[in-house]
Amino acid sequence: MKKTGILASKELRAYFTSPIAYIVMILSLSVFNVLFYMIIDQNREAVLRDMFLLMEFMFVFLAPIFTMKVFAEEKMSGTMEFLQTTPTRNSEIVYGKYLSSVVFFLILLLLTAPYYAILEFFSSPDVPAILTGYLGIFLEGAFFIAIGVFTSALTRNQIVAALSAYVLILLLYFSVGLEKFFSGTPQALVHYLSVMGHSKNFFIGIVTTADLIYFISGIFLFLTLTRIAIENRLCR
Amino acid sequence: MISAHNVKKYFGNNKVLDIASFEAREGEIIGFLGLNGAGKTTFMRILTSFLPTTCGDVRVCGYDVAKQSLLVRRHVGYLSEAPPLYPDMVVKDFLRFAARLKDIPARQTPAQVAKALDLCNLNGVASRVIGQLSKGYRQRVAIAQAIINDPKLLILDEPTNGLDPLQILDVRKLIKNLEHKRTVIISTHVLSEIEEFAQRVIIIKQGRIIKDHSLAETPEAAGGAKLFLKLRGKRPDIESALRVMPDAAVTAMTGDDEARAVELDLGKGRESYNELIEALLRTQVQILEIRKPSPKLEDVFIRLTKGPTKEGQSV
Ligand SMILES: Nc1ncnc2c1ncn2[C@@H]1O[C@H](COP(=O)(O)OP(=O)(O)OP(=O)(O)O)[C@@H](O)[C@H]1O
Ligand SMILES: [Mg+2]
Repeated sequence: MKKTGILASKELRAYFTSPIAYIVMILSLSVFNVLFYMIIDQNREAVLRDMFLLMEFMFVFLAPIFTMKVFAEEKMSGTMEFLQTTPTRNSEIVYGKYLSSVVFFLILLLLTAPYYAILEFFSSPDVPAILTGYLGIFLEGAFFIAIGVFTSALTRNQIVAALSAYVLILLLYFSVGLEKFFSGTPQALVHYLSVMGHSKNFFIGIVTTADLIYFISGIFLFLTLTRIAIENRLCR
Repeated sequence: MISAHNVKKYFGNNKVLDIASFEAREGEIIGFLGLNGAGKTTFMRILTSFLPTTCGDVRVCGYDVAKQSLLVRRHVGYLSEAPPLYPDMVVKDFLRFAARLKDIPARQTPAQVAKALDLCNLNGVASRVIGQLSKGYRQRVAIAQAIINDPKLLILDEPTNGLDPLQILDVRKLIKNLEHKRTVIISTHVLSEIEEFAQRVIIIKQGRIIKDHSLAETPEAAGGAKLFLKLRGKRPDIESALRVMPDAAVTAMTGDDEARAVELDLGKGRESYNELIEALLRTQVQILEIRKPSPKLEDVFIRLTKGPTKEGQSV
């Protein structure tokens, strides 16, 4: 697992040597700032709940942008052949790449901490709800990133990788709306798969084992699929 | 070092590799020759355990490429067809990264990186971004990556592909400078490259080894030495002089009495042609030029790969 760290730190450095990282950060923080102002102005409540809901919506669109190049670019440039002919396990490659995207995402999340500071300064916010909210948004983002990493492992075209990640993530995100077309067990399944159904509890301060299992097993499922995809050279 | 038996590789229904048997000893330098699509890259990818075989048994350094692939990869340095480089990385950072991935302990990494930079003449550009280097330098960085952990087996897929003649000379020198204790396999279309330092040349055609040629033996075995003459004089005079060498065959005669180009095949095993010169001196014929083109592996290669070769035919 030592290689995971080596790969992750190299990847993270690559994120910050390309302008994309800064553009993504500046853009999303600008949007968050405007929304934060509007929400606080309207609600006059010291909670970040609505903020989390908006962040969640933003990350649906941001995650595939973080992840589209993860494997697609390596395949395009032939460096995947280099990585896979060094004595590095495929799982180490997947975890290293995944870790770097998650850390990048975490940095972005940490940059929203001032919102909490502002609330704390002007009133006394519900600290546990904010912490669980951050946990929820982190798990959800990490889940979306796992999906994006997986689609990136299936193609050498970054656009295709991003678009297929959007399809998967939007299906999970909007599946609440699809529920009414089903009944019985399929409906229960669609209901269970909906990300929003699992994230909303975190935002109001509730952490349940079922929600934790949903996100963590989702992450491991997609990382395992990614490993299988690169192991079997499903796309060269 | 390498042993491969009954190796077959299919892409779908398309058989691209069918190697009955291939062995390589420690310290051997082997060239893979073949036209585009012959299967060189596929074979190399199998040896590096990047591609699985469809069937067959391949062992590298005693390890099975399918079952012990991590151990195989620890001992193999590989320059793939598309130089594996990250354009945004600085040269020495990339080499450090490669070293760490190849299990070189952190303590020894700086020394190994410095050694590779030295060997590949990269000291001047060690702090430059790879994407801004010229193609030749990028190729050297890719070679440096392959040798960073002193691999027992070094596999170079077209190391001089797309370089200008000077850079080709440079890279060739570089490969020669590598200590030759290790086994090296080089694939190329530039035949002269292999001739210069390979001890063995494997000619691959349509996925099969059609010739396993040791360069210790003279290429004459594949045909007689050639002689090229440019003469001024009458055709009958020339023909009578040529009769002193009954084994020789005229393969071409062009031009007029002023300048006539004659190409000869001296015949199997023949190298000298003193009697022919003596005979020519006795006539009115003037000798304008005598050339003995050294029999090129290139000729052998083109002859073997061009025509329709029957399967498994030995030449
Ligand atoms: N991933 C793949 N899927 C399907 N066919 C492939 C694949 N890779 C190679 N081939 C086929 O295998 C054959 C051998 O290709 P290979 O790349 O090994 O040739 P080569 O000798 O390296 O040629 P070149 O001199 O052009 O590099 C070709 O016919 C090629 O089309
Ligand atoms: Mg090739």
